[in-house]
Amino acid sequence: MPARRAPPEIPSRTSTDPYWRVSLARMSGASPDGTPTTIFPARIVHTLDPARPTGTAVAVRDGRFLAVDDPAALVAIYGGTIDDSLADKVLLPGFVEAHSHKDTGGIWQHTYVGYEGRIGPEGKWWPGCSTPESVVERLREADREIDDPDEPLLAWGLDPIYWSGERFDRRQLDAVSTSRQIFVIHSNMHLATVNSALMEAQGITPDTMAEGVPRDASGWPTGELQEPAAMFLAGKPFRSFFGRLRSDESIRQFGRAARNVGVTTVTDLGTSNLLEEATVRQWLEVCDGSFPVRTAMFHGAVMYAPDGDEACAAQLVDLKRRSSDRVRFGNVKLLMDGSIQGGTARLRWPGYLHGGPNGIWLIAPEQVADRIAPYHRAGLQVHTHANGDQAVEALLEAFEKVQTTHPMPDHRHTIQHCQMTSPGQYRKMKALGMCANVFANHTWYWGDQHRTITVGPDRAARMNAARTALDLGVPLSMHSDSPVTPIGSLHVAWAAVNRIIPSGEILGPEERISVAEALRAVTLGGAWQLRMEDEIGSISPRKFADCAVLDADPFEVDPMELRDIPVWGTMSSGVLHEGAARN
Amino acid sequence: MAYQPDRLPLTVVGGYLGAGKTTLLNRLLAEPDGQRIAVLVNDFGEVDIDGRLLESTTEDVLTLANGCVCCSIADDFATTLDTLRSFADRIDRVVVEVSGVGQPDKVAQWAHSPGFSPDGIVVVVDPLSIQDWAADRYVGDTVVAQVTCANLVVVSRTDAASPSSLKTAEAWLSRTTDATVLRSPVPAGLLLGPMPRRPRPTDGRHGSETDSRDQNHLSLGEPGPTHVTVSRWLDGPVSRSSLETWTKARPSGVVRAKGLIRVDDRPDERTVLQVCGPSTTVAVDGPWDDGEDVVVSIALPGTPRASLAKWLNLLR
Repeated sequence: MPARRAPPEIPSRTSTDPYWRVSLARMSGASPDGTPTTIFPARIVHTLDPARPTGTAVAVRDGRFLAVDDPAALVAIYGGTIDDSLADKVLLPGFVEAHSHKDTGGIWQHTYVGYEGRIGPEGKWWPGCSTPESVVERLREADREIDDPDEPLLAWGLDPIYWSGERFDRRQLDAVSTSRQIFVIHSNMHLATVNSALMEAQGITPDTMAEGVPRDASGWPTGELQEPAAMFLAGKPFRSFFGRLRSDESIRQFGRAARNVGVTTVTDLGTSNLLEEATVRQWLEVCDGSFPVRTAMFHGAVMYAPDGDEACAAQLVDLKRRSSDRVRFGNVKLLMDGSIQGGTARLRWPGYLHGGPNGIWLIAPEQVADRIAPYHRAGLQVHTHANGDQAVEALLEAFEKVQTTHPMPDHRHTIQHCQMTSPGQYRKMKALGMCANVFANHTWYWGDQHRTITVGPDRAARMNAARTALDLGVPLSMHSDSPVTPIGSLHVAWAAVNRIIPSGEILGPEERISVAEALRAVTLGGAWQLRMEDEIGSISPRKFADCAVLDADPFEVDPMELRDIPVWGTMSSGVLHEGAARN
Repeated sequence: MAYQPDRLPLTVVGGYLGAGKTTLLNRLLAEPDGQRIAVLVNDFGEVDIDGRLLESTTEDVLTLANGCVCCSIADDFATTLDTLRSFADRIDRVVVEVSGVGQPDKVAQWAHSPGFSPDGIVVVVDPLSIQDWAADRYVGDTVVAQVTCANLVVVSRTDAASPSSLKTAEAWLSRTTDATVLRSPVPAGLLLGPMPRRPRPTDGRHGSETDSRDQNHLSLGEPGPTHVTVSRWLDGPVSRSSLETWTKARPSGVVRAKGLIRVDDRPDERTVLQVCGPSTTVAVDGPWDDGEDVVVSIALPGTPRASLAKWLNLLR
């Protein structure tokens, strides 16, 4: 046995020992192969890495974090150039939106007519349309901007629910144009309103017998088309509306929308058919080095597994190898049920407060285990949409079966939404090694409806139970489900920290979590669920240099103002991406 | 007046997992009763087609020598309907399989899309398990809703079920749904109903089904062991009041009827009559096409032809 050599004595910083000087010289300014180092001083850096929680500068090399410290220390050790452009900013790890959809950006190709003001991916401020007249005015402007008289006018975000009682139908839209076809989809994406020109061109008449086509007193369809089958009657404008969402530009807008709110990693959760080579190529090509976000792509296996799940899993395993730093493949999305506000989520006793029928299954519960198993065995991650507590119950039974027959360490299968998941179910998730991605924004956007209409105040107070999940040790992330609610992790964190609802009440104060916990959930929490925790989610050496660049410190502002913190933009792989100026 | 092409009748076939949907669809493809049926399925893997019948295969479409095609619903339904439209001239009707937990009535709404017309909801049930499923804590309400929305219920596995279990299942069905309950195997002609003006496969023109029909314009059809067919050709528009009488006078035993007629208050338009089980619909689907005014009815074996003839004669 060779004699063990004593480790060399580590010189102190002030030492004049030549060993120290030599090593310092070697590290100066650049890596041994000459890759330059950039030091970004900042007002403060919150790393969310408990080993070194804060600093006042980050050193970046090769698109990765090299170190966090104060600027002088970083210069002394690593040399390199100083980039002062973030000197007055607050740096956090780039936010991870672990449940979003690609239409987040592309939908802005259409005219926005929603009730709340929103900012488009290019920074354009769209004031809310708070009256029917303002919708008409917005559409008139859009109509004037289209030269081709045959091109339909497509709009989105309509929410007549806020106009207490005032009807909105084809007649208002006819005031915009009697010749151009107009197709306006509502904010819930389940309804559309069209004008008479469209009805004439597409043959929607009093003889149209379809369900979901309400009529007025004269027997004429009102112009409202309910649910996809009826919306399909709108023909070409309907197709154009959704067709344009598949463009390259649509993906780029997704990236811009994320960048504007400090998000550096997004997900396309099952919206794209990844069995189509064209789709895969499109994402790999559009998401090049200049694209501001990384995207984890989830294949929507409920819709797209025409040759069965085994074949689909095999294809996705192959596809996984084509992942890049920017685009990750190899995950699967399944859906159990619908939405609570739509009355289509599957609830356990006592069901909906409004007394409506229980929701719908998108997969037969008895089939879930068999559907999951091929992906699970192939080492793919399965993220499953389950809003209602009965959907979670059936899903947990299936995962228990799969984990029993094919135990897989560290699978990180995730339940998406988890809106009504009970403490007992969270314990079961913990026992099965599952993660929760909670729909925290729901508390703000539908909290009042949940209190008064869908489930009542008691169950509403328990919804989106981030506190319970954390206390029981379930790995937690939180999401916006954009475009269902606007993308923005600070808003998501704000919603979970405050649980305030528009009427002003705090909905379930016991389920609130701290700012630190919320920020961790929308960074490291998301990274964990995407199996990227060693690459993103905190400002730690070797991880991708992805930051959210903020104008105020979320640990210092009043928690109620978390969502109002201005976001300057992001750093992605060390490259700065300034958010679009609001215009 | 411009020629109005027929819309493709679209029939929806639902039923819970293992109810026998695939068996029924495979049978339709193998024995389509002379109709060129496009069957849309969720999973190609379950389709069992005699290799000798296969004419061509692509990723999404199987073409059979008997004129039928089988397509997978691989993308969203809107895209699938667009695809179907592209070979509408080669098929007579469409049958859509609904997933085991799917709601057939929701899928049936797509049948109002341009180029298609709704042609009934068929739900298949396994007599041995239907009542257990109807009581299941997860899918009980779904299974009951499927049966309730059906126009026709087909009881499968009639060979495996004992007479008493069949009776029990049928008694439960009659308490649960208004649908007409049929025992499998159900021939395609009865299940899907008549094509009043079938295009001739040779030249694709529409015309009378038989040129040698008798002067009273009533055809009692071919006698057969599986169902009874009676057709009536009309001389011109019928009165609205006689139509209303007709819709309320359906004799028992009638499973399906279909008519393309004119009504006196809308003589320039084509009125489509449709009976599927207990449901009768009257709809205008476009301008009159200069074809023939005709109504065809199909009833269970043993139904007196005279009662069908009397019923059709109410239209005047």
